[in-house]
Parts: sequence; C-alpha cells; structure tokens
Amino acid sequence: MTQLTYAKIDQTILDTLTPPKRGYWIILVLLLLGTLMGAACWLYQIFVGMGVAGQNNPVAWGTYLINFVFWVGIAHSGTLISAILHLFRAGWRNPIARAAETMTVFAVCIAGLYPFIHLGRVWQVYYMLPIPTQRLLWPNFLSPLMFDVIAISTYLTVSSLFWYTGLLPDLAAIRDRTTGLRHKIFTFLAMGWSGAHEQWRHYTRGYLFFAALATPLVISVHSVVSWDFALGIVPGWHTTIFAPYFVAGAIHSGLAMVLTLMIPLRKLFKYEDIITMEVLQNVAKTIVLTGLIVGLAYGTEYFIAWYSHNSIEMEQFRWRALGDFRWGFYFMVLCNTLAPLLFLFKKIRTTIASLFIISLIVNFGMWWERFVIIVGGVAHGFAPHAWGLYAPTWVEFGIMIGTFCLFFFLFMMFAKHLPSVSMTEMKETVAGGHDHGA
Amino acid sequence: MDRRTFLKIAGMGSLAFASSCTSESDKKLFSLVRAPGDMVTGKANWYASTCRECPAGCGILAKNREGRIVKLEGNPLHPINKGGLCMRGQAALQGLYHPQRLKAPLLKKDDQFQAISFSEAQAILKKRFTGARNQSNKVRLLSETVGSNLMALFGEVLQHLNSDPLTVFEPFAYEALKTANALAYGIDGLPSYHMDQADLLISFGADFLETWLSPVEYARKFKAMHRLHDHHKNAFIHIGPYRSLTGVNADHWIACSSNNAHVVALGILRHALTKGMANQLPESMRQLKNLTAPYTRDRVLQQAKISASGYDRLLGRLDRARSPLILGPGTGDSGQDGLLTHVAVNCLNFSLDPKLQLLDFGRRHRVELAARRSDVQSLFNTLDQDHIELLLINNTNPVYTMASGSGVAEALANSNTFVVCFSNFIDETAALADLILPIRMPLETWDEYGGFEGLTSTLQPTMGALTRAPQLGDILLQTCFGSDHPVQTYKDYLIATLAREHEIGDEFKWMQTLQQGGYFELSPKNSSLQPTPDMDRISDLLTRTPDTTSADLTFQALPSIRFFDGRGANKPWLCEIPDPLQRIAWQTPVAMHPDTAKSRHIQQEDIIDIQSKNGRLKAAVVLSELVVPGLLVMDVGQGHQWQDPKTPVIGLNPLHLLSGTAQPESGGMNLTTSSIEIQKTGHRMKLASTSGSRIQLGRTLALDIKLTDLKHDKTGHNTGLTMGHFPLTLPLKEGYDPKRDVYPPHEHDTYRWGMVVDLDRCIGCNACAAACYAENNIGIVGEERILEGREMGWMSVERYHDPDAMHNLTFLPMMCQHCDNAPCESVCPVYAPHHSKEGLNNQIYNRCIGTRYCVQNCPYKVRRFNWFTWQWPEPLNLQLNPDVTVRSKGVMEKCSFCIQRIKIAHNVAKNENRPIRDGEIKPACVQTCPTRALTFGNLMDLKSKVRRLTTDSRAYQALGYLNTKPAVIYLKKVVQEI
Repeated sequence: MTQLTYAKIDQTILDTLTPPKRGYWIILVLLLLGTLMGAACWLYQIFVGMGVAGQNNPVAWGTYLINFVFWVGIAHSGTLISAILHLFRAGWRNPIARAAETMTVFAVCIAGLYPFIHLGRVWQVYYMLPIPTQRLLWPNFLSPLMFDVIAISTYLTVSSLFWYTGLLPDLAAIRDRTTGLRHKIFTFLAMGWSGAHEQWRHYTRGYLFFAALATPLVISVHSVVSWDFALGIVPGWHTTIFAPYFVAGAIHSGLAMVLTLMIPLRKLFKYEDIITMEVLQNVAKTIVLTGLIVGLAYGTEYFIAWYSHNSIEMEQFRWRALGDFRWGFYFMVLCNTLAPLLFLFKKIRTTIASLFIISLIVNFGMWWERFVIIVGGVAHGFAPHAWGLYAPTWVEFGIMIGTFCLFFFLFMMFAKHLPSVSMTEMKETVAGGHDHGA
Repeated sequence: MDRRTFLKIAGMGSLAFASSCTSESDKKLFSLVRAPGDMVTGKANWYASTCRECPAGCGILAKNREGRIVKLEGNPLHPINKGGLCMRGQAALQGLYHPQRLKAPLLKKDDQFQAISFSEAQAILKKRFTGARNQSNKVRLLSETVGSNLMALFGEVLQHLNSDPLTVFEPFAYEALKTANALAYGIDGLPSYHMDQADLLISFGADFLETWLSPVEYARKFKAMHRLHDHHKNAFIHIGPYRSLTGVNADHWIACSSNNAHVVALGILRHALTKGMANQLPESMRQLKNLTAPYTRDRVLQQAKISASGYDRLLGRLDRARSPLILGPGTGDSGQDGLLTHVAVNCLNFSLDPKLQLLDFGRRHRVELAARRSDVQSLFNTLDQDHIELLLINNTNPVYTMASGSGVAEALANSNTFVVCFSNFIDETAALADLILPIRMPLETWDEYGGFEGLTSTLQPTMGALTRAPQLGDILLQTCFGSDHPVQTYKDYLIATLAREHEIGDEFKWMQTLQQGGYFELSPKNSSLQPTPDMDRISDLLTRTPDTTSADLTFQALPSIRFFDGRGANKPWLCEIPDPLQRIAWQTPVAMHPDTAKSRHIQQEDIIDIQSKNGRLKAAVVLSELVVPGLLVMDVGQGHQWQDPKTPVIGLNPLHLLSGTAQPESGGMNLTTSSIEIQKTGHRMKLASTSGSRIQLGRTLALDIKLTDLKHDKTGHNTGLTMGHFPLTLPLKEGYDPKRDVYPPHEHDTYRWGMVVDLDRCIGCNACAAACYAENNIGIVGEERILEGREMGWMSVERYHDPDAMHNLTFLPMMCQHCDNAPCESVCPVYAPHHSKEGLNNQIYNRCIGTRYCVQNCPYKVRRFNWFTWQWPEPLNLQLNPDVTVRSKGVMEKCSFCIQRIKIAHNVAKNENRPIRDGEIKPACVQTCPTRALTFGNLMDLKSKVRRLTTDSRAYQALGYLNTKPAVIYLKKVVQEI
C-alpha cells in the first residue's frame, strides 16, 4: 500500500467527479432506455391485466416478489457495513461504506417498486395507508404485508438519512472546490457545514447514535420480510427459522453485490490505493461466514421437515430437491454455500477475477433461493389437485431488466456526482483513527 | 411566440386536456314505460318448462330477471328429475344467448349463403310445399325427438304433402337395446328401470349417470339404491373394458377385454340357469340352457381375461341378491358385442325375475321413437332415387354424427333435393343445406315434451324472443296449410290437443299445468307384460358368436357427459368445465392404459396418429388406468367444423375413425373399432388439465371408509393434533378449545352458514360446477388460459385416485370452505376477505387490491384471481346474473355460498317476520345436484339438517388439522368389497 496523504485522497476521489467521457453517457442512455422499457412493460400489465405475467393458480406470487426480496436483501449490506461495522470499529469498512450505503438506498427504492408492480389493482394501493375515512376502514395491521409497508418505509427513511449525514463533510469539501451552478447546488446540499470544531463534535456523536439506531433495522427489515412467508401456513414457508435465515441471506447477497459493484468501480476510478485488496479480502471472508449460515439454514429446514414427521412438510422438501424446480434448489445450494467456500483459499480471495465471478455467482444463487422459497411452497402446497408450475413471461423479464437498469442508472449517476468513497473517513483512517467516534 | 399566442395555446390546450380526460360515458338506467304485469324490477319470475338438451326431458324452472332468463334450475315437482339438473341442462342458456346464433335465414346461392328475411324464407318454403303437394311422396322430414304434439303436426304436414311419415333421428338411438328388447320381450322399445328398488346393480357399461336414456333420473334412482342406510349399502358392479363416470361409481370393476362383454354376460346367464332359475322361465326359453352351455367359467375367464376371484364374487353376490337388476352396454354401443350382451342381459333379467318387476314398460322412454341408424341412412341414400324434392331437417346434425362412409354428407351435397335446415347455427349439416331457417329455441316456444310415455311436460316461452325467428310449429301451420287448418298458431294447436287428450279443459287447469311445468298426476299404468321372446332369432344370434379374436388395439368412442352427441359443443361452460375423470378442458385427448403406452414408448401428451380403415386423427395421449390395456378411448362431441370463421375448431371428433355403415343385426352404429393402427408423430401437446396430482398422498382431503369399518369408526372422537387424529372442530363456539386455540371464537348472529358434502352421494357429474358458473357470472378463460393455470371455476369437483388401485377414485367437490379461522382473512392488508356476522367469508371485490396473499395462504386453493377482465361476447352478457357483481381484472374472487340467495331469503323472512327456515336457502350447487350430495343450512340451529349431518360418524373436515375450522363438512365415501 503506497502511502496515502490527505491530498492524494482528495485528488483521487474528487478526480472521479470530473466531466465524464462519451462512453459514460452512452451507457447512461442505454440504461435509461432499459428503464423506460421496463416501465412500458409495467404500463402494459396495468392496462391488460396481471395475466400478462406468468403467475397463476396456485403460484400467485412470482418474480415480482422474488425480486422484491432479492433487492431488500441487497439493501442490507449497506447499513450492515456502515452501521454495524462502524460500531464494531472495523476500520476496513471505511473505503466501501459510502458505495455500500448508496447501494442500499437505491436497492430499497427498487425493492419498494416491486410490491406496486405486483398488485392486481395498483391504482387502489392507497387502501393500504391508514387514512381516516368516513367508512371507518382501516388497514389490517395483522397482515404481514402491512408490516412490510412499515418496515420498508422506515428502512428507506433511516438509511437515506444515515447516508446523507455521512455525506455532509464531503459535500462541503466539494462545495469548496467548485464554482458556478455546482457550487450553488453543493452549498445548498452541504447545509452550511463549515468544519468548525463544534460541528465535528456534534457530527461524530450524531453519526454514532445513528449507527446504533440503524443497527436493529438491519435485523428487523429482513425479519419482517421473512414473516411475509413465515406467517403464512404454506408448507415450506411456515417456519420460525425464517427471520435469521433471511437476515443472513440478505447480508450474504448484499456483500456479494458490494463486491460486484466495488470491483469495477475500483478499476474505473483507480481506487486501488483506497479500496485495497485487504478490504476486498475482508468482504470475501464475511461472505464465507454468511454462506455457511445460509447453508446451515438449508440443512435445518430439511432436518425440521424430517423431524416434524409431517407428511406434507416432508413431501414439500422431497419435491424441492427432486421435483420440477430442483435445478433452482441445486443453484441455491451450489452458489450460496459451496461456491463461497472457495474464498477459503487465499489465492482465490485475492484475485480480482475470481472475487468478481464468485460475487456474481452468489447474487445469482440468492435470486434462486428466493425463487425456490416463494414459488416452491405454493406450487406444491396442501391440495395436490391444485399443484401447478410457474414460468415468468416476457413482461416479467422486461420489468426485471428495467429495474436492474434503473439501479445501475442511479448508481452511475451517483458515481459521477457524489464522492463514491468517503473522503472524511479515509482521512480518519490515514490519520490512524478508525472512525469519527474513536 | 408572443404573450397572446402563448395564452391562447395554453388556454386551448388545458381546456382540451381537461375535457377529453373523462372516464367512460355515464351509463343511465331507464325504467320501462309500461312494464309487463308480472315484472317487478329486482325480483325474479320463474317459468316452468322442459329441458330439451337431450331426449330425457327433465323439468326446468327458468329464472327471468327484468325480461331475460339468467338461470335454469331443475323443477322439483317434475317426476323425471325432481329438482336436479345436469350440466348440459344448465348450459342450455348459452345456446339461447350464443353469439353465433343465426339472426336471419340463409339461402344458398352459388354456394354462398345470403341472408334473407323470414317472410322471404317462408315464401320459399310455401312455394316448395305447394310444388310438392301436387306430386306424391316428394318430401322427407328428419327431426330430433320431439313431443307428441309437434310430432302429430309433422304427421299432418307430411300427410298433407302426400309423403312418407317422419323419421326421428337421434345419433344415439339405442338400436341394440331396442333390438334385444324386441327379441327377448317382444317389445321394440325402451322401458324405464326401477333402479331404486334393486339391491344389486350389474352393468355392462350402461352410462346411466352421463348420457344413457335419462341421466338425471337414473342418477337419483341410482343413489336411492346405492345410498348408505343402517350400515348397509347395496352394490353396483361394473363389467366392461373401461370405466366411464358411471363405471367409476361402481363398487367393483370387472375389467374384461374389449368385445368380450357378451362372454361374461352369457357366462353369468349360464350360471343363473344352472342354479335352477331356468325352471321359472317359460317353456320356449328353456333352450337357453343349452345355448349358454359353452360359456363355462373357464371359458369366460380365459376369453374375457377377467380375474377368477372377481368373477366368483360377482356370481356369489348375484346368488344372494333379492332383486338384482342387470343393465347392458351403454349409449350407442350397437355393435355385435353390444347386441349380444344386451340379449344375454335381457335373458338374464328374465330368468332372475320372470315378472320383470324392475322394468317398467308402462313408462317407456320417448327416445325409443328414434329411427334406427340404418333407416336414417337409407333415407339419405334414396333421396335421388326417389326424386325427393324437399328435405326438411329439424335441429339435428347427421353430417357430424353419422361417420364418414355413411354417405350423408355426399347425399346432401350432391342430390337435387332442396334441403331446408331448421337450425340456429351453421353446423356441418346446415352448411350443406339450401336454406337455413332459424327457429325459436325451446326456451322461447310453446310446446310439450314428455320424456316418458304418459307424461305431459309443457314448454312455454320463458322470455321474449331474442331473434325474429318464428316457432317451427307456426312456420309449418302457415306455410303448409295456409288458412286450411282449423288453428292458425301452434300454441292453439297445442292447447287444443292437450285439452282433448288430457282433459285440461278449463283455463284454470291449463294455467296450473303450465305453472307446474306439466301434468304430473300420473295414473298408475298397468305394466303387466307378457313377454314374447323370439327364441329362434335369439338362438340364431347366440350360436353365431362373433369373431372375438382380440385385436392388438381397439378404439372406443364414448358419448360424453359434457357434450352428449356433440349438440352442445359450442357452449363455453361445457368446454370450460373439465371432464370429470381426466380433468381436461377444451381438448379431446385419447385415453390409454400406461402399459399400452409404455410398450409403444408413448408418453402422456405425445400426439399419436390413429389410423383406421375409415379415417385418421392426431390426438394427444392421456394415460389412464380406467381403460384396459390395448384400448383407446375418446370422448364424442367435439371437433365440429363450424362453417363460421369466428368459431375456432375445438377438440377432435373420434367418429371420423368409425365405420359409417350401420350394423346389420341391430341397425345401429358401432362406436368400437378394432382395426386401428397408432404411430407416434414426435409432436407433443400440453394438456389443458386443471389437476396437479391424481393422488392425495394420504392427506385428509377425499376420505373413504370401508363399509365393514363403519361401525367401529372413532374418527368423530379424535383428540389429537396431527393430521390423522385431529377432532372435528365445528366453526362455532363449540369448536374452540383453549388447548388448541389462541384466539377467541367469532360471535355469530343467529346464523352460521355451513354445508355438508356427502362424498358417498357425489357421483362426480359436475352439474354443481356448471350451476355455479351460471349463477355467479364466472368468467370463461379458454384453452390457452387453462394451460397457464388460470381457470376460474369456484366449484371444482376434484378427483383423487387410490394409489393402491389407481382405477378407483373418489370425487371431492371443493369450494371455499368458509373457515371460521380463515388463513386468508388475516393476511390481507386491506380486509378484503371479511368474516361476516353469519360466518361467511366474504370477498369484498371493490376493497381488493390484488396482493393475492389470500390465495397463497389458502390451503384448499379455492380462491380465483381475475388475471384479466373476462369477456362475455354479446349477447352472452344477457345471461349475467344481475344479483352478482361482474368482477374486473385485478381482484380475487371465490365461492360466496351464493350470498345473493341468502340475502333474498333474509328479505323474504324479514317481510314475513320469521327466521329463515331450514332448507329455504339453496345455493346453486346444492339446488342442481341430482343425487342431493350437498346440504346447506344454519350450523347454529341444532335441529337443522346440516347440523344433524355433522354428527354423522363419517363427518370430517378437509385438512382439518390445520385448525381452519371449515364450514364445509365432508362425509366420508363408503367403499365396499363385493
């Protein structure tokens, strides 16, 4: 690691905000077009009916909710890295915290879109809001879907505020180095940050408390999402293990997504000195841990199915491994538990290519895990006469591609307009302190 | 742009934007200026009539709301069906309102049909009649089975035209049964059977629950015989190469090889005769003993390939029976084997009871009037030879039903005869006619049709006519006689005859008859029969036994419960409701035993090419243990070639494979052929099946119990918590136990509606499903959507095979269980599924936002989501029930226990200041069930029938261990060994 100086940090990070090249704009336009294509698919679905998607009887939940859970999962690692690792004083998280947090905010936004897309009558979605009406109709707070509304909106609010709080000193630094319109914008965004000692004192305390407040959310959001399933009575869903299982899975996929995003960013923005191999290695090691946790959860589900001696539960799990969607199950076991074990080899976790490939594999596997759970349970439920299969249609693929495009569109906008690594925290690292609270 | 232009454009733009963005234009309701006397908006009028969807002639009540009929129900007073109605009867409405129904006559000019007016059409007919009257015998009339009055009018017309009498054509005319009756009893007719009085029923394939003679009547009588009483149940044994719906209702199936049913029949006859029953027979019939002598036990077992134990138990059971009834092969099975079996069965019935008390020749089925296939064929083949100038075809489709090789299509196409088709659709026959003259449908006409001899059952217009089409009787009276006839309209003709023949002299009696739907005070007929067997011909037949060297493969076409002979094939409900056994909708697969398929490397859904001497078909295979190896079975009724580009071809017509020529002995058609070859085409077709798994994997869904275990059954006193040991938990306070339940019970207000489904009475006929479609405005989704798994039926009669004997199955009518502890209610974020004060699980359509969580969490999977806004092409929309919301895309729906009927009962009871009576509310499914398998009522009323039935030891709840406390209580099916 070459010696980092304050000036070098500033230079490296602020360099990324220079006007982009043509390639950037082309990619941005393509992503925007992809997003619009997804929006068009959704409009088509609204006008023609849910039937243009592949859901049916008995599989009434398909890729929309799979993607919902997938994106909520992605959204997890941001807060994990910035809040929990902050509290644990894990200094290695500093170079990646900003990008991870940004990823969180965008991923929650994308995840939040999916329940809307999923609704049969999205134009009536306000029925879910607790608006006092003459008819005295109130939402059903017993419904896990109402838990979701609350949990996701809380998480979005908190993670956005947390992200913004962390950004403040950096925004001020940009303000001081820009002129014209940009200067005005950053002046507004920096909210009068002057770097006064009093401000720093409040800021570091505030950030710490925020981290403490955000920590339970990391656990709660995905626990709540898991209750969408665990509170149902469907075989394969109705199990108490779901909350920790989903949280571990969410962190697993979130960390993988961090790698997926950071590796190209590191290359393009020449962050090699800032996001060091050490940092990536640490992420990889954590992925091994979360991979083992989800692996344990997979095993526990099978054990409980056998131990319960409930024939319906046993049939569900027999079918999961041997039935029509068995490849989904194999994907999930191979990609989520076995593939990350390769990180036990130092060579693999220190090679950029293998890190990147395995991160993609884990993302893929985590998508399939949600498929296996969400589709599998109801496809092979209580009433054998009603058993059926499910396959997504082009509309669903269109919307899925559209949301991926939207995510990357937002992330690319971020990368060129805001510092993708926290200058403040990097400087603290260089100064020997691990974080502002230290 | 200057300021003024900007303001102008902005002003115009916003105005245009605001004014063009209104939603749909306002819909206005207008009341009638002068309403008919009996019409009250919002209140139904019921008109009694007679169903004409098959020759059985069940009584119906048509529900007329604001001038249009929206529902048909069985007439409870009618002696044939006593309130039940089959799915075809329910679907009669869709014929009336069919979008492709002709609105004007079509005249063929240069091979093209041109629409003409009704007066022009009648003028043409009149001219033809005048021309024919001046010569002799130039007119032929071919009609479906009609009532005696219309028949008399046909007779007068033909006499007036100096022509041969009418030919009644029914595709399934029971020729073999009639011939056998003529041979054994001396009566060329079709008696009715007192099936309810038998204590043992043995059938060689008579499909009396589906199409045979009078299915609703026999379904009722069958269950009267086969019901459980005092821990005892009479037996029904089915012998034949396949199990149709009737066959699967048998306690035992003796699977004999194709074309060998007669061997078994003769073997049983031999057994009966050697047991000394021959002594009761008249002298002339004693030689039967010699004739049946070759049919020893060994020969029967070997030739028919049946199991020895089954055969012995059958004979043992027969010996013990006090009043056994034997039925022959099914509808339309008029081949050599069919005829021989019928003859043997008749002799057997005769020798078992020489008085033939279970056969009623005093109440012969009207369909016996149908001419033999051979006669119909000769009518067509002699059109040119006899220089027939005018052929009238009334509402029948011989080109479809008479297979290729019969020459009917060729005769119609090539002869010089002017062919007039009285038909409402351009079917295969009408397409070859010179003039298609639409007539009023039975629900719009005055008429009379008695399903059996001596019964007067009336038809009356149940609504105003939808088209300008006149009534057939009126057309004939006006065009044929002009002013020569004493009466001018068919209604007057009808009243005059009825008054003359049934002493319906005064107005009051006529109104009473009309309101009841007929004259049902039947005088007990003296049916004492002196059978005069034609022993010479019988012995001649029995000595010339057919060549039964069983072919490798045999093909059998089967009249289906959904389409009968194909006359209702264009009705969406019948196509949409899957067939009861395979659960496949819209398609016509060919059923084949898994062993046969395996030996030929064929898999389910493979398309095979079936080739016979007469034609070929490409059909998808469905594997079924309900047929013997080597037999291929396909349903008749689909595969119509509608001459209408808008109507797609649905399914296949198996009659293409059969020989069109009539059988020499019986004069009927053989629906079996042994000379076929099959070949894999390499293509596959996804079957539109609504069934995921055929077996229930030991889950407590469709349960049965052995008759012998019934007395010791302790299921009702279970106390455990697991699937097999969970107690019956009624959806009432009594059903809650703090040890099991966290939440307190619901407070119900006087009523807690519930249903009892007796699986022992359910025959799986799907009439309930059709009634539900009709009552609740359920969308028709079509084949493509069913393939996607989007069927909408609220009531589905699931069937589960017994994994140990796949040919045995149990039917399970499955609808919303209206659970007290409903999994759907708690998960909805907006309370769209809502538990009512009366225990109903209501679905509030306009509250639903479509999260579909409810269906995910429903263990019975009875909720249906509106994936699209379903279409009712005009005028099918006129059938929609105004009491039930038509759901649009994006909302969930499901069985409501016909809440609209509950509401009506509430109103009536409130007006009369009394509580709702037990049995006052009948949901559509309960009402139509021919066997009374469903009972609906108030579970809170200890004296109600539904509550009393829950104390039956057979009572259980589907997946009760989930503690959902369903309000639908099932009673186990009782199975017995014979």
